[in-house]
Amino acid sequence: MSIVALQHVRKVYDTKVAVDDLSFSIDAGMMFGLLGPNGSGKTSSIRMMIGMTLPDSGSVRLFGQPFDRSLLARVGYLPEERGLYKKMNVLEQLVFLGSLRGLHAAEARKRAKAWCERLNIAEALGKKTEDLSKGMQQKIQFISTLLHEPDLIIMDEPFSGLDPVNAALLMDVLIEMRGKGRTILFSTHRMDQVEKMCDAIALIHNSRLVLSGSMREIKARYPRNRVEIQYEGDDAFLRHPAIEGVKRYPGRAEIQLRPSSSIDDDSQSLLSTAMRCARITRFEVTQPTLEEIFIEKVRETATPGEPAVSISKSVAAADAREEAETHV
Amino acid sequence: MYNVWLIARREYIERVHTRGFVITTIMVPLIMAGFIVGSLFLGAHEDMDRRVVVVSQDLQLAEAVRTELVRPPAAKATPSGGISLRAPARTPKFTVDIVQPDANTRALLDSDLDDNRIDGYLWIAPQSSGAPFSYTPRSSSDQVTRSAVLASLNRALLRRQLAQRGVPAANADALLAAPAEVQAARDSRHHDRTGTMVGIGILFFIMYFVIMNYGMNVARSVIEEKTSRIFEVMLAAVRPEEMMAGKILGVGAVGLTQVAIWLVSVVIFTARSGGINIGGELIQPSFTGLQLIFFFVYFLLGYLFYSSIAAAFGAMTNSEQELQQMNIFLMLPLIFCFVSLGTMLTSPDSTIARALALVPPFTPLLMYMRVALGHPYSWEVALSITMLVACIAGLVWLTSRIYRVGVLMYGKRPTLGELMRWLKYS
Repeated sequence: MSIVALQHVRKVYDTKVAVDDLSFSIDAGMMFGLLGPNGSGKTSSIRMMIGMTLPDSGSVRLFGQPFDRSLLARVGYLPEERGLYKKMNVLEQLVFLGSLRGLHAAEARKRAKAWCERLNIAEALGKKTEDLSKGMQQKIQFISTLLHEPDLIIMDEPFSGLDPVNAALLMDVLIEMRGKGRTILFSTHRMDQVEKMCDAIALIHNSRLVLSGSMREIKARYPRNRVEIQYEGDDAFLRHPAIEGVKRYPGRAEIQLRPSSSIDDDSQSLLSTAMRCARITRFEVTQPTLEEIFIEKVRETATPGEPAVSISKSVAAADAREEAETHV
Repeated sequence: MYNVWLIARREYIERVHTRGFVITTIMVPLIMAGFIVGSLFLGAHEDMDRRVVVVSQDLQLAEAVRTELVRPPAAKATPSGGISLRAPARTPKFTVDIVQPDANTRALLDSDLDDNRIDGYLWIAPQSSGAPFSYTPRSSSDQVTRSAVLASLNRALLRRQLAQRGVPAANADALLAAPAEVQAARDSRHHDRTGTMVGIGILFFIMYFVIMNYGMNVARSVIEEKTSRIFEVMLAAVRPEEMMAGKILGVGAVGLTQVAIWLVSVVIFTARSGGINIGGELIQPSFTGLQLIFFFVYFLLGYLFYSSIAAAFGAMTNSEQELQQMNIFLMLPLIFCFVSLGTMLTSPDSTIARALALVPPFTPLLMYMRVALGHPYSWEVALSITMLVACIAGLVWLTSRIYRVGVLMYGKRPTLGELMRWLKYS
């Protein structure tokens, strides 16, 4: 059964098309990644899934039924822009948000305490929210999303702004949730996170769906034409005829092979050439990364006259910004 | 419904715990008490000794005026014992000099006035002259002395005329002793008109202040939720109508708490001190049970009306500054009520007052005034309440629409056309 199913959804704000003809579905127990650069329509799609806005046309189904507010009790939603009542004590805040989703105060209190201990912020329970660090507030909000044990967890950019340790902590929680059979959808523009965690993805660009399907299936569509070599010595092997493009780094090269029917032989031939020129410490043949697939897809769909390069740049820029946030 | 209660309770608890609430709630009655005690203290210690000069060739008349002036007023029954703050109404004690006029008497008396030696002089010219009596006070605001002097003069003249017609002095005394007493009580609803007016004034002010203040608090709270982005979490769990209703009720309950505390303290202070000294008169604000009931009914409806408008303003704007610009639309009807207060007080049952009190934005304040002061028909009261309730229901519906769309559209203020489109989103 599809937990979430969008069919030909379209949403227009004034003159701006936020989402256009978007269709995808999420199966039960899946970790689903909703990808796309900033402003591509991720948040708009999510808001329609939880009935905060209604699609202009098309349909949204949750848990196999047409959208109905009563279904929201089974959904946990973490918005992109975090918000908590600043003056409120953390425990009271969690109990309040839990009660709104139908929990009894005592039960909400018990779960809130357990979660805070699990995420190493038990000391924050008695404090006012405004006295907490941003990362801590984000954890509190993360907890509030899960407090009522929702079947469907929707998180808009859940890891942005977190340091790597805490991001990993929350990722572990999500993976554990999937282990318990929950369905998880999260949006991000960090392709590497998705590649590691997601079972299936949908790629949105300029309000339109560019690519969707299970991770394995998508990857299988692409030949193993990427080669990464780490070497010491002469790099003359990089003039090998099978190479279409190469990115050089000190002691390392990322190579894209020419399309051919015998691409596996090409990579072996490249390896033997390389071994003659230099000392090879690492040699890996892979499919293109999700990011590469994405950029390629965006190029394909770009209308003539629209510079596709700027799109890949904007993705890269967004990633760089994200990177900076993460490592501060 | 349970969600509305949860949201209202959260708002209430958070607001009641703020320092601002505690300070306003305590300070206002304290300042009020200070004002009352101060007015009584000043009244009790006012210098009530008066020295006036009667200038007359007719020494007999002058003597008669003096007798009338220094005669002690009929002793009033004063409640014995009790609270020390209770001050009796005081009358001035007169010293009267009699002078026969000569060429520089007027100049002399004028200089006495300037030097503060006397409080005024009464000039009695011979009958033949055109204007036989004139009173010159030191201060034109000293109404008490002026009226006492003129009353004494009138009584002296009256007594003389009675004597001339052969009425014996004792009979004249009996005739003059009991002036008509002003009967304040008209029916059981208005025990004491002045007290009622002051009571209504206090209630009117509280209503105006609270509606204004707490209406704006609702708007501010909506903006705060937009800025802190909490509404998105909330809207994923509750309906915008619930959110709206909870917020308005929660903030309103805070206002109600404050009003209740203030009213109780008004009642306690005025009961303890015997009233407020206004213009030398002790006035005890009085509220009847009916007045209080209507006060709370109209107060609640007025609050709901204005706060749902305010909430819509909050949903449309993105900052306190923008809200200030919308503020005027909220204030105009209230200011209009304030301006029309004069009409309502003097003729609460006039056609214009009746018409104005039925206009929903004015109903809470003006219809309340009519109920308290005039004699509105019960169908008028019922109609005003029905129309107000209908308006509130419409407003809450409208506002939660604006709220639902408005909170998601941050960044710029909507145009009128956009607003209309928002209303169409279900």
